[in-house]
Amino acid sequence: MPISDVSRDAVDLVVRETIAVVLPSIPPGTIDGSKHLRDLGADSVDRVEIILMLLDRLHIDEPMSSLSQLTSIDALVTFLHERCH
Amino acid sequence: MDAGLQVGIEALNVYCGLAQIPVEAIFAGRGLNEERLANLMMYERSLNLPFEDPVTNAVNAAKPIVDALDPAEKDRIEILITSTESGIDYSKSVASYVHDFLGLNRQCRVIEAKQACYAATGAVQMGAAYVASGISPGAKVLVIATDVSLVDERVDYTEPVMGAGAAAVLVSDRPRILTIDLGAFGTHSFETLDSARPDPTFDIADVDVSLFAYLDCLKHAFLAYRDRVEGTDFASTFDFLVMHTPFAGLVKAGHRKMMREFAGVGVAEIEQDFTRRVLPSLAYGSKVGNLCSGAVYLALASLIDTVQPDTGCRVGLFSYGSGCSSEFFSGVIDQESTAALAGMQIGQHLAGRSALTFDDYKGLLKDNHGCLVPQKDRDVEIGRWSSILDRRTNRRSLLALKAVRNYHRKYEWV
Repeated sequence: MPISDVSRDAVDLVVRETIAVVLPSIPPGTIDGSKHLRDLGADSVDRVEIILMLLDRLHIDEPMSSLSQLTSIDALVTFLHERCH
Repeated sequence: MDAGLQVGIEALNVYCGLAQIPVEAIFAGRGLNEERLANLMMYERSLNLPFEDPVTNAVNAAKPIVDALDPAEKDRIEILITSTESGIDYSKSVASYVHDFLGLNRQCRVIEAKQACYAATGAVQMGAAYVASGISPGAKVLVIATDVSLVDERVDYTEPVMGAGAAAVLVSDRPRILTIDLGAFGTHSFETLDSARPDPTFDIADVDVSLFAYLDCLKHAFLAYRDRVEGTDFASTFDFLVMHTPFAGLVKAGHRKMMREFAGVGVAEIEQDFTRRVLPSLAYGSKVGNLCSGAVYLALASLIDTVQPDTGCRVGLFSYGSGCSSEFFSGVIDQESTAALAGMQIGQHLAGRSALTFDDYKGLLKDNHGCLVPQKDRDVEIGRWSSILDRRTNRRSLLALKAVRNYHRKYEWV
């Protein structure tokens, strides 16, 4: 599937799966999108790892600084989805 | 420039206080989540005592270097630059006091540089360029990165990882510690408010903004280096890597990011590479905390003392300062680096610090937070800390702050 055809739901799924890889104690289905990653218990190194894995999986070339002030997981999904197009 | 001229770091020393507290003790005292200790990779943090300030830290780091020079060599120190984000006056530099207590030549330029944790590298590079220019053959430039910590519980997980102290770097045409690859550098800077010291009593920091800016700068400073140095390969050009160390876990994350992007290898290989090329530089930093612009030079000292190279090894160095500015550069260490650094006994200095309890630490915070506050007159009761001062036998004399009179800081040797 071309990256430009990725739906927002698909990006949301990738985000949840990636969070679960870095924070294995959190089932993807229980993640509340209104929360910030730190609210899930992700420390700063975990957050770096999650962002790097997402940029890699979604083939997005974006400075990390562009993502530093996103206030929630939903905002992260929206940001990444917009960059997929 | 003389084509055969070598320029770099002739001597290097650090001073990281007389006291330390285990990182675990701050976690326990503040009720922080101990599961986060693993990612920090930090074990102790240096603490200053109330008679220590940016001037004493700087002098106590540089004194052994200056004392090892003969009088003629000492007089060739033509520029003294203190790099600090812990200024003690809007006008008067830390360097002006340091110049006096090191007994440097009155024909020496005396200035202070500020760009958070990057400024010392900017000063080292300008010093190297001055030496390499040949306008004053044989000249030396003394750069001292010196800072104090002002953090407390308001900065959460940053509190356990902030260090204090100074790193002194003597740049000359006799590079015994590190021969700088002249012209091999890459820089990357942009404006951001990731961390700052808006007031002489506290720091502010946005952790994500700062870490992400650090990682962006690491990538782009390296790319700028690669543009200048044909054939550079992140995975194979450098025998070792030395990076600014806010905490060791960030250096590990940065190395992992770079290896993914530029080496395309798997997790196991990245871990092996980290252990081989990066971990030796973190031994000291993980026991000191963030030494601000001295951190990358503390890491260089850690690398040399840990690896003790017996042949030439190329080192890639990355310096980052909030705000932000960064640089990736390189140089060569060898068996002479091992010998030249051994005399400073940095490992013994760190091991000899007194371990404080969390209650001791809390008692110190109020005094330490007043360290940079302008006061017309005050006295410092050095004797209160004699048990720590006297703990080490055969301790060398150290400079201590004893008073402030009409805004003029007064020091004595103890």
